[in-house]
Amino acid sequence: MRFRELLARLTLGLIVIGLPLAALGYQYWLRPATSPHRVIDIAAQAPEHAGFSPDAIRVAVGETVTLRFASMDVTHGIAIGPGLGVDLGPIDPGEVKEVTLRFDHPGIYTYYCTTWCSPDHWRMRGTIEVSDPANPELFPSAAPDPVIETLIAEGVDIDAVHAASADHGSEMTTWAFQPSAQRGEAVIANGLEVPVELRDPEWRQSNTPSKALELLTAHNPAASERDLLDAVAYLWTQDVSEEALASGERLYNQNCAACHGQYGGGDGPAAGTTAEDPVAFADTGYMVERRSDVLYAKIRRGGMGTDMPNFGTLFTPEETWTLVRYLWTLAFGTPPGMQTG
Amino acid sequence: MLNQGRIDLLERVPLLKRTLKSRAFQPAAMLLTLAVFTLAILAGLVGTPAGSRNFGIVFVWIVWWALLIAVLVPFFGRLWCTICPIPAPGEWLQRRAIVQRRPGKLWTRGLRWPRRLKNIWLQNFGFLGVAIFSTIILTRPTVSAWVLLSFLLVGVVLSALYKNRVFCRYVCPVGGFIGLYSMMAPVELRVADPDVCVAHKTKDCLTGNEYGYGCPWMVFPGSLQRNAACGMCFECLKTCPKNNIVLNLRSPGSDLMVASERRLDEAYKAFIMLGCALLYSAVLLGPWGWLKDWANMHTLPHWGLYALGFVLLNLVILPGAFGAAVWIARRIARQQQPLRRLFVDYAYALIPLGLAAWIAFTFGFVLVNGSYALAVLSDPFGWGWNLFGTASTPWTPLGATVLPFLQVGVLTTGLLFALNTTYKIARQNSAQHQAAFLATLPVSGFALLVTLGFLRLYLG
Repeated sequence: MRFRELLARLTLGLIVIGLPLAALGYQYWLRPATSPHRVIDIAAQAPEHAGFSPDAIRVAVGETVTLRFASMDVTHGIAIGPGLGVDLGPIDPGEVKEVTLRFDHPGIYTYYCTTWCSPDHWRMRGTIEVSDPANPELFPSAAPDPVIETLIAEGVDIDAVHAASADHGSEMTTWAFQPSAQRGEAVIANGLEVPVELRDPEWRQSNTPSKALELLTAHNPAASERDLLDAVAYLWTQDVSEEALASGERLYNQNCAACHGQYGGGDGPAAGTTAEDPVAFADTGYMVERRSDVLYAKIRRGGMGTDMPNFGTLFTPEETWTLVRYLWTLAFGTPPGMQTG
Repeated sequence: MLNQGRIDLLERVPLLKRTLKSRAFQPAAMLLTLAVFTLAILAGLVGTPAGSRNFGIVFVWIVWWALLIAVLVPFFGRLWCTICPIPAPGEWLQRRAIVQRRPGKLWTRGLRWPRRLKNIWLQNFGFLGVAIFSTIILTRPTVSAWVLLSFLLVGVVLSALYKNRVFCRYVCPVGGFIGLYSMMAPVELRVADPDVCVAHKTKDCLTGNEYGYGCPWMVFPGSLQRNAACGMCFECLKTCPKNNIVLNLRSPGSDLMVASERRLDEAYKAFIMLGCALLYSAVLLGPWGWLKDWANMHTLPHWGLYALGFVLLNLVILPGAFGAAVWIARRIARQQQPLRRLFVDYAYALIPLGLAAWIAFTFGFVLVNGSYALAVLSDPFGWGWNLFGTASTPWTPLGATVLPFLQVGVLTTGLLFALNTTYKIARQNSAQHQAAFLATLPVSGFALLVTLGFLRLYLG
């Protein structure tokens, strides 16, 4: 056989057999084998199709793993929580983003989509089970949340009012003006008497602005309703730093805005897909009747029968409080000197 | 004179002649394209389902398609068929060799291809079939890969059953329109002197000899008047002992004037290509979201309506409207030829317009989506590779400002070519200039309306 024919046949063999073997062998054998640590490929698709594949990963304490997320259909956003601070941002179709992690303690973490990708977007979650090699089946049980425990002990029904603010118009007070936290600071500086309990963050956490208004009115009978409400607006938004506010805004935009609307109008693109209309946090009349600890509990535990998912597996308690504080700024505006994105 | 006004490139460029005569040239090119083709199928089967990041979609339906329709076909005719990998495995199995000329018969059952299929009707319906599913095939890598693989397998099976390149000549849906539009190309393979061929007793170009195989496309070069059926494999160049084969540079579209070889199947191919370009432009570039949804099979009934509309437009509405224009032309020009004859003849005037429409359509999506090729080159499977450091190249649509000018320019050129061809065909059917001019008007009106339709889609 002549040399050129032999060469051609060899080339043909390389193309038809060698090329597939080389590509597949590199990706599925050589690449993982030569990687200094385990690489896990996770395909992200809208939950109506497959969601995350795989949707559960098991990792040993102390093990370093690289998670490679690839979007298969639409733009997804990937974050991992709680408390890991991993936010890979948006991943366009076909794009691959990766993160390398090392877990020091056993526990369960969640990777989730942060971009509204489909009507079932909120179902798009996967878990990372970090186990101790000594007790691989033993995971630390989730500690009861003291805030939620206190509410239950107090007899507060977290789900008592869970419909949209529009459905509760008859219960709500409405004002012809928009409360302003910025103006509220000036009102207080100009001598409005603020009862001592209102200055206590813990009191404000477990009481409604409506209750605060009652107390303020009792102490300042001559003050205008607007001054009083502005003072409440200031008090309810003053506990947050600018950095935390930005963090709250980011969490809100990634996880809440699809239903509740970017500006808290309850009018996000997914608002029409939920069992009940999403709450409008920008509705002051609705929000003055809310308690921060109940909002916190609802975020962490989810809303029964409303399609409000639980975020307790995604956020730390601190992140949840940051989010709650951001919600108040949607109702009352930001305090002086602070800007949101 | 046959080769009058033509330049023989083989004579002018001896290196080209040596290259094309070499037995290694075609297999080497085919092996190269086969490697790309294999990679495309592999990427489609195991790579990311996101079409814009999959080599199988980007390099087949953007890069290859743009090269084919905007460069290879209009300037080099069937040159793609010279290097196409699809028939390669079947042909190499038939020959039991890749490069060398192996003596003896081809390794095939040697069945006779049915006489009634010795035309391009199968290619017409094959293209229409692929076109109806095109929004699926062009965007879903797995589907695309199976389609490409099925082409390859059909090629192998037909090679095992029939002699030569039956697949290319009568079945390949791509080969059908390449053949049609290759008639527009400024190059042609012909013989220097047909009389030499007539006098030549052994007809080595058909039977083959120690230097090459008999024409795999089942064409006798001595009577070759058009590019349509010549696959430019250059076997005849290798086998011809009389040194009678030429590769001419000529004026584009000369083949359209070969009246004796005009056929209804090719006329319909012209309508199908024009209709598909119109529909693709409407679906992929047009503003109608509902039409995209229908074409994308969001619901089966809607897709059924879309498919029905697709078939009707290509096989009934466009030919019907054109037939009406030809009927008017025949009446006002008092032409005596049968309506069917004139219908077929004038349909060839749509070939330059159809080619221009495809080029304009291709500019529309290649300039917008071409940048995906850089990212895909580094990460063909969408697995996060970065072979050449270009994996993160962002999607960058190009030429937004020049695109309308390009499209208008190409379409106008195609229309002018079509009008000129219409008149020339009319002159073939009418002795008088005035009658030919009158006959040209209705057909030109049809071409003008179609062009305006494209401009409406491209310019909004």
